[in-house]
Amino acid sequence: MSLALATVVGGLFALGTFLLLRRDLVRVVWGVAVLSQAANVYLISMGGVAEGSFTQVPILATHGGEVPETADPVVQALVLTAIVISLGTTALALVLSYRAYEENETVDVQRWR
Amino acid sequence: MPPHIVVAPMLVALGTILAVLGLRSARAAQRAVSVLGGAVYAAVVGLLTWRVMLSPAEPTPLVYQIGGWPAPFGITLVADALAVFMLVIAAVVTLSAVAFSVRFIDEQNQRVFYHPLFHCLLLGVTGAFLTGDLFNLFVWFEVMLMASYVFVAFYGEAPHTAAAFRYLVLNVIGSAVMLLAIGGLYATTGTLNMADMSRRLAAPAAYGVDVAPVVGLSALLFVTFALKAGLVPFQFWVPAAYRSAPLPIAAMLAGVTKKVGVYAVVRLYFVVFAGASLPTEFGPISGNSPLAFLAPVLFAMGAASIVVGGFGAIGQSRLDGVFAYSSVGQVGFIVLPVSFAAAAQSASFRRLALAAALVYALHHALTKSLLFLSTAAVRGAAGTTNISRLGGLAAFSPALGGVFLIGCVSIIGVPPLTGFFGKFLVFETAAARYAAAPGLVPATAIATLLAGALFTLLYASRAWVRGFWGEQTEAVATATLDRGQLSILAALALVVLAVGVGFDPVYEFAEAAAEAALDRSAYVDAVAPRGGGGQ
Repeated sequence: MSLALATVVGGLFALGTFLLLRRDLVRVVWGVAVLSQAANVYLISMGGVAEGSFTQVPILATHGGEVPETADPVVQALVLTAIVISLGTTALALVLSYRAYEENETVDVQRWR
Repeated sequence: MPPHIVVAPMLVALGTILAVLGLRSARAAQRAVSVLGGAVYAAVVGLLTWRVMLSPAEPTPLVYQIGGWPAPFGITLVADALAVFMLVIAAVVTLSAVAFSVRFIDEQNQRVFYHPLFHCLLLGVTGAFLTGDLFNLFVWFEVMLMASYVFVAFYGEAPHTAAAFRYLVLNVIGSAVMLLAIGGLYATTGTLNMADMSRRLAAPAAYGVDVAPVVGLSALLFVTFALKAGLVPFQFWVPAAYRSAPLPIAAMLAGVTKKVGVYAVVRLYFVVFAGASLPTEFGPISGNSPLAFLAPVLFAMGAASIVVGGFGAIGQSRLDGVFAYSSVGQVGFIVLPVSFAAAAQSASFRRLALAAALVYALHHALTKSLLFLSTAAVRGAAGTTNISRLGGLAAFSPALGGVFLIGCVSIIGVPPLTGFFGKFLVFETAAARYAAAPGLVPATAIATLLAGALFTLLYASRAWVRGFWGEQTEAVATATLDRGQLSILAALALVVLAVGVGFDPVYEFAEAAAEAALDRSAYVDAVAPRGGGGQ
């Protein structure tokens, strides 16, 4: 489990960094998005998946069946916040890149005036 | 007075955002409310300061646990002397910048989103100063950054969009790194509350915390804060962003948001991580806490900032470019004493060094706002800030000349202005360090500080002599100066003068703030985190 998570986080960060270094503005925005999500996946994995029982979670105790494991809910709350923030940032990055395209008539960063 | 007042500055900023959004069709009212919001904010910060610093009922840090959830389970807001000191800086700069904006930004631009975003920036800054929780620090950083992205792109032409895009991408990377560090710290220490983390790191055995990863994670966090503070080698976004943003916002960015980075370094390293004990012998680094690692890094970055900022400022052709680069150098002056404090062995020296850094931060915020706003007045009058197209401004308007001169003289460090005491304390710290242990590091520090002071003298006097003396150029001869702008500048110049003349209480305030940053147990006791085993 940890190995899989570590590979995913590492792969996402590598992909995000690769995209950030492109000359094409749209790819850079993709890089921004991938990088933020990589941080979120990492954050989720920091919560760990610990042994626990469903009786500790009220709604599962009354409504659910057998649940073998629980995870730290705090990090999930944090990641929700972080996802919203990265959504906003990515949207703004898209708008800015469109504006930059309008101004420069190219999405190639190196041909910016 | 209940501890709920801690949340008041944030509520004022939030209320102002909503009010100015609602009033966008009534332009005059919108502007009045925006300035009023700034004034109420300053008043509330004043009240909070009085309560934390001077209240007859024993001045203590004020803590507000939101929703009544005790730390470390809920969100904690803490106003101690350090946070309040930074809030006062923010309040003074905000009030002058928002009042100036009303007279400076053109009407169409003000109507739509200038004022709501301005107060959003302020809200983010206030939250970052007050929060007692690592994840909320991240959230407030983002609130602040979101507003500043839009401001950098404000004028929407090619250079502004390019600057904003670079600024945004860089800060997204910074935020991702910060999130990594916060996640790692949560996994390592099992808490996000700063006081709780400090308590756990000070007694790792009792809480089953492994201290070793904390050093690396705190270094990751430090990268983000250095990025926000614009320290070399993370300074490259600063000049473009400051030149693109509207000039009153450049004053806010240099005066306030930069200080958030500095504040976060001081808060986290001196309050949260300083208790961690980790004996190290690694080259020049020796000590027993993450502070020992921080000191040489901070020293190198601060010294490099002074040199890079100084060189950059001398080569600039526009006034706003000069002051943008100058900000990089000046933040080096703030960070060098912090590095001395981190390396210090004695408590009294540590306090002296931190107080010097805080006084310098106050000086830089006031003086740099004055200079940026004066530059705005020059642009408003003459239509350009290009030094070669200016000349004879002092004869054109002696009042503007006088205000600008006060700014230049203060940033050079001539008594009795604030800049003198800032520079004096920083030099005194370096000299005390040299006297205690003569060696290469303090000698380098003194040499760098001298070079930095020389650079400041050069670029400030160049801006003054070339822009304000000599023959009136065409741009100046046809200029018209706004009296409202001038009176705001005069008021701010008076503050710069007053802080220098009545320096004693200011220094006491800074010393109390430094004390608050060093007294870990007072901070932990005030927040009083519960549970978690151990003690």
